[in-house]
Amino acid sequence: MIRAYGPALALIALAALVPFAVSANTVLNFVVFALIIALAAQGWNLLGGLAGQFSFGHAAFFGTGAYAAAILQTRYGVNAWAAFACGIALAGAVGWIIGFLSFRSGLRGSYFALVTLAFAEVFRILANASSVTGGAAGTLVKLDVRPENFQFASRGAFVWIAVALVGFVLLMTIAISRSRFGAWLTAVRENEDAARALGVDTLSVKLKAITLSAAITGAAGALYVQYYLYLDAGIAYGAWISVEALIAPIVGGIGTAFGPVLGAVALHVFGEVAKAVAGGIPGIDLVLYGLLLVATIAFAPDGLMGLLKRLARRKAQETR
Amino acid sequence: MTMKTEVSRRAVLAGTAAGTAALAVPGVLRAQTKTVKIGILQPVTGALAYDGQQGQIGAEAAIKAINDAGGIKSLGGAKLEMVFGDARSTPEGGTAEVERMQAEGVVGIVGGFASPICLAASQAAARYDLPYIVDVGVADSIVTRGLKNTFRFGPGFGMVTKTALANLAKLNDEAGKPAKTVVLVHEDGLFGAGLAKLMQAELPKLGFEILDTIAHPTPARDMSNIALQIRSKNPDLVIPSSYYGEFALLARTMQQQRIKPKGIYAVLNGAASNYRFVKEFNEAAQFVMDCNHWHDPRKPVAEALRKQVEASGKFWTYNIPLNYSCVGLLADAIEKAGSTDKAKVTEALAASTYAGHIMPYGPTKFVDGQNQGGAPVNTQVQGNDIKVIFPSDFADAKPVFPRPA
Repeated sequence: MIRAYGPALALIALAALVPFAVSANTVLNFVVFALIIALAAQGWNLLGGLAGQFSFGHAAFFGTGAYAAAILQTRYGVNAWAAFACGIALAGAVGWIIGFLSFRSGLRGSYFALVTLAFAEVFRILANASSVTGGAAGTLVKLDVRPENFQFASRGAFVWIAVALVGFVLLMTIAISRSRFGAWLTAVRENEDAARALGVDTLSVKLKAITLSAAITGAAGALYVQYYLYLDAGIAYGAWISVEALIAPIVGGIGTAFGPVLGAVALHVFGEVAKAVAGGIPGIDLVLYGLLLVATIAFAPDGLMGLLKRLARRKAQETR
Repeated sequence: MTMKTEVSRRAVLAGTAAGTAALAVPGVLRAQTKTVKIGILQPVTGALAYDGQQGQIGAEAAIKAINDAGGIKSLGGAKLEMVFGDARSTPEGGTAEVERMQAEGVVGIVGGFASPICLAASQAAARYDLPYIVDVGVADSIVTRGLKNTFRFGPGFGMVTKTALANLAKLNDEAGKPAKTVVLVHEDGLFGAGLAKLMQAELPKLGFEILDTIAHPTPARDMSNIALQIRSKNPDLVIPSSYYGEFALLARTMQQQRIKPKGIYAVLNGAASNYRFVKEFNEAAQFVMDCNHWHDPRKPVAEALRKQVEASGKFWTYNIPLNYSCVGLLADAIEKAGSTDKAKVTEALAASTYAGHIMPYGPTKFVDGQNQGGAPVNTQVQGNDIKVIFPSDFADAKPVFPRPA
């Protein structure tokens, strides 16, 4: 038990201390954003990493969570915390529907990826045209800093909420990978036909995975809107978040519990360091960031988790 | 991890220093302050990079002009120091930079350019009661949120459309009503879609018949289909609301396919009042009209700045005079407040009657953060130049409408 959950708990405890150690809002703001991306990436990792169903359209879930949280508050006067929960539930429902439509018709691999991409695009266009979402003008959540509105004067409070969410999903991912459900997911990922032949209900397993995955990414969206208080179709359903959600686990380590968190934080720290180092010319930091990304992929094909494991193994061999 | 604590320690130090400075007795402050930091926020990378860079030119020119003229006199000639932030064309990029600027101790922030960035960044600044002056962002919601710290110097969307429609009716009436039918072409984002909706409601009241409304995404790589649709409808007037690339493409495609409506009347168009367009696609640009932000050609400072910008090989766009004026407005407020105290500067902004700007607005007067004098003008590309055709009290050319065949 301690071996399985210990590192995760230690990491969560460490992250929860950040607001005590750091008072600069610049840093706290950065931490919150990196954790929002980490959360979205954890959602992707559950479906893409554990169940092997690569999605290019997690924006569909991020956006649904975000829009639901925002619209329920602004249009229907729902309490922000309740709206947040509804956002997560609705994102999960959208995940189930997309999963039902595509998995039932037997879409796999690149076909599934393309369908998810299409769904996200359709959602983006609809959100851009519909009047419920505020159309192209977007939805603005009123700035009213009160804890019951899920708005806090200190950035530290948001850090704790983000840490709590990411931490919860981290523990859940570990629990899943140790459970029977986790074994089914691995079976589906490694060989779906063989899994079915052995009696795994692959459709139901995949549906559960996409629903859970969508709910997690939806939570990231709802947290985004609660933090930035503004949303438009490009932010909610834009390709940027699909890419962020996918690239963090790839860099961090696909299918591992820590991968998405590590990847998201590392990538954004890279970004900030590049910004600090580059200075002067606009955009040079993005070039630097790109180079670092290429280097990471080239030297750590299994992601940072893979790299860490390799280093640990080498050290163990040396000491032997 | 070690890196992170280092960064934070430095940031904490900077924050503490700024805090102490702000808390210090005003008298002591006056004696000690040699520079006043102001934040300039522009999207200089990403999709809006061009506009952001143009805005930066204007802001830098203003800071230089103010410093050369002796800085902030009520603070003992304190010089303005720019803290520049790249908003990266995203709201969260803008927010992150506002946090950094606040940590570095800026007195106020100018910029944002796009409405989503302005909305998010001004809200982030509101948490610190940090004055925020919107340079361009036209969404009406920017000034209707009740944020005390947010001021918009230029006109909002509602004002621009109202003026555009009134001037269009006037233009058509004066020419003997040659235009009866219209095709609307718009980008499907915030301003294009919103504008099209307003036009659809208002144009019929003014006696125009809308033959078609064509939306396109940004970016769009091919405008042939839209040009063909325009040809088949054969309208008297085309009203496009798009960003630079799309409209330049449309104008060129229309020229290639010899589609010649009686007029092209753009509203808040990214290209129609841009010298780059006039220079690169001169033939396609001829007689295109626009209703947009524009500097006041009667003001010598404006014309001098324009010459200076053009001499450095850059194109003149409305972002430059708007940012130049907004920085001037903030400096004037700091001057009037005689302090770098954020609350006092906000108060000075709210009561501001600044006339030193280079836009055709008259002295500033803010109601709920919106400058009441802010208004667009109508321009038309004539030859190699962009001329002001409305309002007539400072127009430097007569409108050419309908355009010669």
